Amino acid sequence: MRRDVVIALFAVVAGVGAVLLVLASDRERSPVGVSAAVALVVGWAYIGSGLIARRQRPQNRLGVVMVFIGFAWFATFLADAGSSLVFTVGKALESIYLLGFVYLVLSFPTGRLRGTFERALITSGVVLVTVVELAWLLFADSRSQICSRCPENAFEVTRNDSVATGLLQGQRTVGVVLSILTVALLVHRWRRASAPERRVGAPVLWAGSAMFAALAFSVANDIFDHPLGEGPAWTRELMFASIPIAVLAVLLQRRLARGAVAGLVVELGEGATSISLREALARALRDPSLELAYWVPASGRYVDADGAPLELPQAGRDRAATVVERDGEPVAALIHDPALAENDELVQSVCAAAGLTLENARLQAELRARLAELQASRARLVSATESERRRIERDLHDGTQQRLVSIAMALGLAESKLAADRPAVEPVLREARDALTVALAELRELTQGIRPAILVERGLAAALDDLARRAVLPVQLDVAVSGRLPEQVESAAYFVASEALANAAKHSHASDVRLSASQEKGVLSLEVSDDGIGGATAGGGSGLRGLADRVEALGGRLTVSSPPGRGTRLRAEIPCA
Amino acid sequence: MRVVVADDAVILREGLARLLGEAGFEVVGLAGDADELCTLVEHTHPDVAIVDIRMPPTHTDEGLQAAKRIRERWPQVGILVLSQYVQARYAVELLTQGTERVGYLLKDRVSDLGELSLSVRRIGEGASVLDPMVVAQLVGQRRKGDTPLEDLTERELEVLALMAEGRSNKAIAERLFITEHTVEKHVKSIFATLRLPQSGDDHRRVLAVVTFLNAA
Repeated sequence: MRRDVVIALFAVVAGVGAVLLVLASDRERSPVGVSAAVALVVGWAYIGSGLIARRQRPQNRLGVVMVFIGFAWFATFLADAGSSLVFTVGKALESIYLLGFVYLVLSFPTGRLRGTFERALITSGVVLVTVVELAWLLFADSRSQICSRCPENAFEVTRNDSVATGLLQGQRTVGVVLSILTVALLVHRWRRASAPERRVGAPVLWAGSAMFAALAFSVANDIFDHPLGEGPAWTRELMFASIPIAVLAVLLQRRLARGAVAGLVVELGEGATSISLREALARALRDPSLELAYWVPASGRYVDADGAPLELPQAGRDRAATVVERDGEPVAALIHDPALAENDELVQSVCAAAGLTLENARLQAELRARLAELQASRARLVSATESERRRIERDLHDGTQQRLVSIAMALGLAESKLAADRPAVEPVLREARDALTVALAELRELTQGIRPAILVERGLAAALDDLARRAVLPVQLDVAVSGRLPEQVESAAYFVASEALANAAKHSHASDVRLSASQEKGVLSLEVSDDGIGGATAGGGSGLRGLADRVEALGGRLTVSSPPGRGTRLRAEIPCA
Repeated sequence: MRVVVADDAVILREGLARLLGEAGFEVVGLAGDADELCTLVEHTHPDVAIVDIRMPPTHTDEGLQAAKRIRERWPQVGILVLSQYVQARYAVELLTQGTERVGYLLKDRVSDLGELSLSVRRIGEGASVLDPMVVAQLVGQRRKGDTPLEDLTERELEVLALMAEGRSNKAIAERLFITEHTVEKHVKSIFATLRLPQSGDDHRRVLAVVTFLNAA
């Protein structure tokens, strides 16, 4: 804080000094008022933005770089001084601020240079504005090389116009090349950038490119002795002044994002569900594509909020994952845009803020994963039971029943062929045949209980109709189910209806029973209602409990509403898509 | 009388063929599924086809569907549908398509050779035959709540059931040990009580009674 105040004071002094030098100078091309104002605006814009940036993001070098550019900028106005030494020092420092500027644009937004090409550009720039500049000053005669009314060159050792001119033109040419290379690099970066990267980098990349293009243009104009005339320098300088504002805008945007962490803490405190948790995190990180994956230690894999297994993206350009850990164990992973990885600090603070809520959401997701597993195993069990029933029914129908019938047939044949000693054998045969008939009837009853023939042969609608016709009480039927449904669904629905009708007949004292079934949006709804005494329950030892299990295992629901004195309504909803 | 037998269980197919041969029928062909049966009927034009309801490939009601197809294409061929279970609705479906030369019996009935051959013979001659169990189902359905069946006497109910089975007045008289004249009197009274149109024709009589019983 104190240091910032000192720097600000220096900035005021430097700014005022620069303005005084400009106003006192008789070498300015533009109106001195405009030049002075531009000088002040540019310098203070850099120093001010730099100070704010340093406070917001102390680890990021960009703030320091901008403060440096501001002071280097003010230093160039020493060249407006009347004193020979001050003038010469100003001349030597003339292009230092451009070095800072190149560094700023190339290292944006992290403050660190990315590759060797960038480093080579900066190094070339340093050589150009220090070594070459000083070498030039050693040979340059002020009047002929700089301007006719300028003071003496204090660094001049020996006047050599051709060497000085050669150095100056060489310096300018390399400067143009470096500027063009910088613009090319920035355009290349833009083309490779992902959407969020572009969102972050756009203002600085574009203003920087425009600035270097303008610089290359005007230096080229200088090299050929101003074939295009001398444009007003302050337009370029105002563009230059807009850069720190753009940098600051981006950094403030990130500050807003960090402000969102505070908002996130408040939001999570209000009890977030797993869906709103995802949304809150997406908002805080400004990445709408954010997904959450939760760690399930038991199965050693990640699942989504519904408990469905999920793979984390491999390191690549499309998506990136940040794993959130607690006590060294993974809790969850954020799957996000790779651009977010550059703002690791924000991601980490968001993760820290959401830690406990993420842990809760993880437990919920784990629970859902287990429920889904349980549901699947129950469905497998029902399916197995159902196919077992089908097998038993088929075995009885095709095997035992047929065999019994054929025995009955054989007995009948024997009976009809009996001639001798008829009176003695006939009653025995008849007895055997009658016993067989009884056995067949019993077997029929048994197989009907396993899977009613009408259900096997004609499906649910016919079976329900049959049920209604055979019911003890008169039943009003309203069935809107066509075609065949999955066997397990047909069976479950049939036995629910059968049990409900039997209960109504036994306990309800009803006079009117309704049985309705319909199929809508992949769900079979079956309802049995009566106008009896009510008071039925689904729990305990009633047959309804087993049926409820069967319905639930198919992902359905069985509900019983039976207020005393107001009838009983039993409803089953079974997915059948 | 020429008959064919269709059943996917060899043991029953062969057994039935033997039984019917024993009873004096000429068994002209055997079939294991519905398609085979239709081909067989087309080539042999039997008097009666005896058909099991459940056959391959789906083991649901192919036999019944085949029976309907045969009655449509070859109406002179009588049909006897056999099944381990009887469903009143199948009887109604068969009868609505036509009341002549049709029968529907429980498989168990094959043990009584006399009854079986009588049924096949009657179907071949044009009559309709329903299993007593089908009739019992129909009467059971109809006996709920307030129905005109309540107004019939015990004896009239017995006569009604035998009529539904497709039996003639003479057969009913023999079964109940009463005179044909008394049967006629009962029948008249039943039709009046149930408000059914009188019909001298045995086949139509079956349909009228069954339709009445099946009405919800």
